[in-house]
Amino acid sequence: MELLKFILPGCVARPVRRGGLLLLVAVAGLAGARAENKPAPAAISAEYRVKAGFLFNFLQFVEWPERAFSAAQAPIVIGVLGEDPFDGYLDELVQGEKVGERPIVVRRFRRGEDIAECHILFISGSEAGQFANIMPALAGRSILTVGDGDGFVRAGGMVRFAIENGKIRLRINPDAAKASGLAISSKLLRLATLVTPENG
Amino acid sequence: MIDSSPQRFASRCRWKLPGGGRVATMFLVIGLGITASSGRAQQVPLLPTPSGLKKLSLEQLMDIEVTSVSKRPERLSEAASAIQVVTGDDIRRAGATSLPEALRGASNLEVAQIDSRQWAISARGFNNLFADKLLVLIDGRTVYTPLYAGVYWDVQDVVLEDLKQIEVISGPGATQWGANAVNGVINITTKSAKETQGALVAGGVGSELQQSETVRYGGQLAPGIFYRVYAKYFDRGNSVRPSGLNSNDAWRMGQAGFRVDWEQPLDTTFTLQGDAYDATMGQVGPDNIRASGDNVLGRWSRSFGDGSDVKLQVYYDHTHRRIPGSFTQDVDTYDLDFQHHRSLGPVHDFVWGFGYRLVEDAIVNTPANAFLPPSAGQQLFSAFAQDEITLRQDRLHLTVGTKVEHTEYTGVEFEPSVRLAWTPGAEQTIWSAISRAVRTPSRIDRDLYSPATPPYRIAGGSNVVSEKLTAYELGYRAQVSPQLALSVATFFNDYSNLRSLEPLNPPLAFPVEQSSGLRGHSAGAELTADWRVTSAWRLRAGYTELRVHSEPNPGTQDRSTRDSIGRDPNHQVSLHSLLDLSARWECDADLRYVGPIANQNLPGYTEADARLGWRPNAAWELSLDGQNLLHKHHPEFNSPGSRREIQRGVYGKATWSF
Repeated sequence: MELLKFILPGCVARPVRRGGLLLLVAVAGLAGARAENKPAPAAISAEYRVKAGFLFNFLQFVEWPERAFSAAQAPIVIGVLGEDPFDGYLDELVQGEKVGERPIVVRRFRRGEDIAECHILFISGSEAGQFANIMPALAGRSILTVGDGDGFVRAGGMVRFAIENGKIRLRINPDAAKASGLAISSKLLRLATLVTPENG
Repeated sequence: MIDSSPQRFASRCRWKLPGGGRVATMFLVIGLGITASSGRAQQVPLLPTPSGLKKLSLEQLMDIEVTSVSKRPERLSEAASAIQVVTGDDIRRAGATSLPEALRGASNLEVAQIDSRQWAISARGFNNLFADKLLVLIDGRTVYTPLYAGVYWDVQDVVLEDLKQIEVISGPGATQWGANAVNGVINITTKSAKETQGALVAGGVGSELQQSETVRYGGQLAPGIFYRVYAKYFDRGNSVRPSGLNSNDAWRMGQAGFRVDWEQPLDTTFTLQGDAYDATMGQVGPDNIRASGDNVLGRWSRSFGDGSDVKLQVYYDHTHRRIPGSFTQDVDTYDLDFQHHRSLGPVHDFVWGFGYRLVEDAIVNTPANAFLPPSAGQQLFSAFAQDEITLRQDRLHLTVGTKVEHTEYTGVEFEPSVRLAWTPGAEQTIWSAISRAVRTPSRIDRDLYSPATPPYRIAGGSNVVSEKLTAYELGYRAQVSPQLALSVATFFNDYSNLRSLEPLNPPLAFPVEQSSGLRGHSAGAELTADWRVTSAWRLRAGYTELRVHSEPNPGTQDRSTRDSIGRDPNHQVSLHSLLDLSARWECDADLRYVGPIANQNLPGYTEADARLGWRPNAAWELSLDGQNLLHKHHPEFNSPGSRREIQRGVYGKATWSF
């Protein structure tokens, strides 16, 4: 029992106050470091921060055909159609990042017709009523369409964010992506639920 | 055992615990290590800032809770324990071909391969073939054999591709899990049928795992009702004697099974699953060992609008093993388990439950040794209650609870615990626990005689009572940055009534009977680090330090002192490297060092595994794996006379999913 006192100093009698003390001192530096960190500037929800993370990550797991780019060094474009729920967070996320030689830029489009060169298109919830009009306009273009909501895949969208048990899950229609000349890596597909327009 | 040497009646370890000063120094060094690394981590932002977030992998992103859920994401009582989780993906990338190999991914376990098919696996000491202080569950079904309270690891198998995760809790889990969860709990869970839709065909060939085939298909029976069926088969080669000669323990096994999950919207799930296997195993002796078994399990759970949920689980499990020259055993287990969880306001979160288990066995004895009586039926009743009390919102949680069990050998046993978790910031937890756990006697403790008829040399153990443990734990866990997670768990375990062998007519050495005349203690520390070096490279490291000591109670005449009831290395180190060379290529390597096991005269060893994986497209995965690459063959367990050595192995595998 003497040994106990060395291993768990004071812990047996008063678990929190003294037991934690040794470690507390040890991690004091850590706490100090944390205090200097400011919270993220934009007051956007954790949900859209994480979704922005997914959009950025998708760039690594999707291959676009050469014809999707106007030039060899042309940037890779993440577009946001409709009201931007990311509020600048997405721009901050991709700043200075590259995919191969291509820089990453974020562009915003108000209407489907405005969409110029674009590689990933996040279709905002504000456009939910317009899915059926937007999708045909994108047909034949190599754009990975990403959105929220029940009707998204049914309307022809490729990647849908769904929330299950508080966490974001992916539902992907691989056929739609393939038809647009996109190759989605198996790693991404494996983490997603594969769907068709009928069950998406 | 009886498939192996009578190593069970081994002797007691002669190790002394190190001076307390050394332990304290070790602790301090750990603390300094953390301080130093936190200094370097100064620039790392909190999770949702852009620079931190973009370093996360898809899997990590999928793991972030973006909305609060009514059900708690994890059991707080587990947050206050030394838990390690090995995911299905970790196992795939470790190139593991069996559950014991997958368990090498949890650094808080001792995992030693004895020969081609037998393993010694324990946590926090007292390791042996049939280590008896560890509870192992596969999808909620207890898989230790009630004859020995140990696990026949050779017949515990799942489709590794369908494995969701393995939770390994070192330290007692008796309050929640019940008897045998003395030194640890291994909780193996497979994915739901919904998560394993489509076809999977996998095949491999190699030098040790000579061939393996797996076929699985998952589909949908009706809206919300998913199923999968599978079959697998493998053929494993021999281990060798230290001289290099073949040891005649090659074996093969086939297994098939199914799972159906019926998820009704929001509140109710029903699971029905079952497996059957058949194995033929080589042994030195007249004939091969034959083992077979089958099981079926149903689980119903429902959550209600008021934040409460209930779970009811029943299963039946049958195992058969015929060991020529030793025993033939048939064991039937019927088990029922009920749990009700209810949140009582913001402070109390209450869970209680009860269980019933009936175990019936039938043994065909041999002249050399016998279970007497040769068949027995035993009932186990259990109930537990646990309250998770929030002392300060998001900061301080206290979990108190107890399990009460009634066994036919020992009557009523109480297994209470108190756990405290303090979360001074979102990324760190300091926890502490005091718990009591028991290992109730199994058939081998009470009813084993040798030879089968008088005069006996080993004459049962009518006086064997439950082994008792009081465990004191203190741990710390930190997400130092989005890239770096560290944990430290320390413990002191105080045991009484450990198994001894007492001479019946001293000073004559024989006959002996089994008794509970030893006591002991152990202490140690388990350190882990998980570092995402870059988005493509991850390192996991583990270090475990352990001291185990046991001695006879005053007045006992224990004869088992020459061997040991536990055979444990004092140090273990492991390092796992997972590297994505590109979106299609993976290159993974594992390195492990296991210190000498002194009471077996076993030297320490270092071994390495490596894996190269290639995914040419969404449907195919090809891999080349090397196991135990550093030596032609090396021993991991047993004293020199009965030692077998594990050979270097190479195998190639192709997986086609569509």
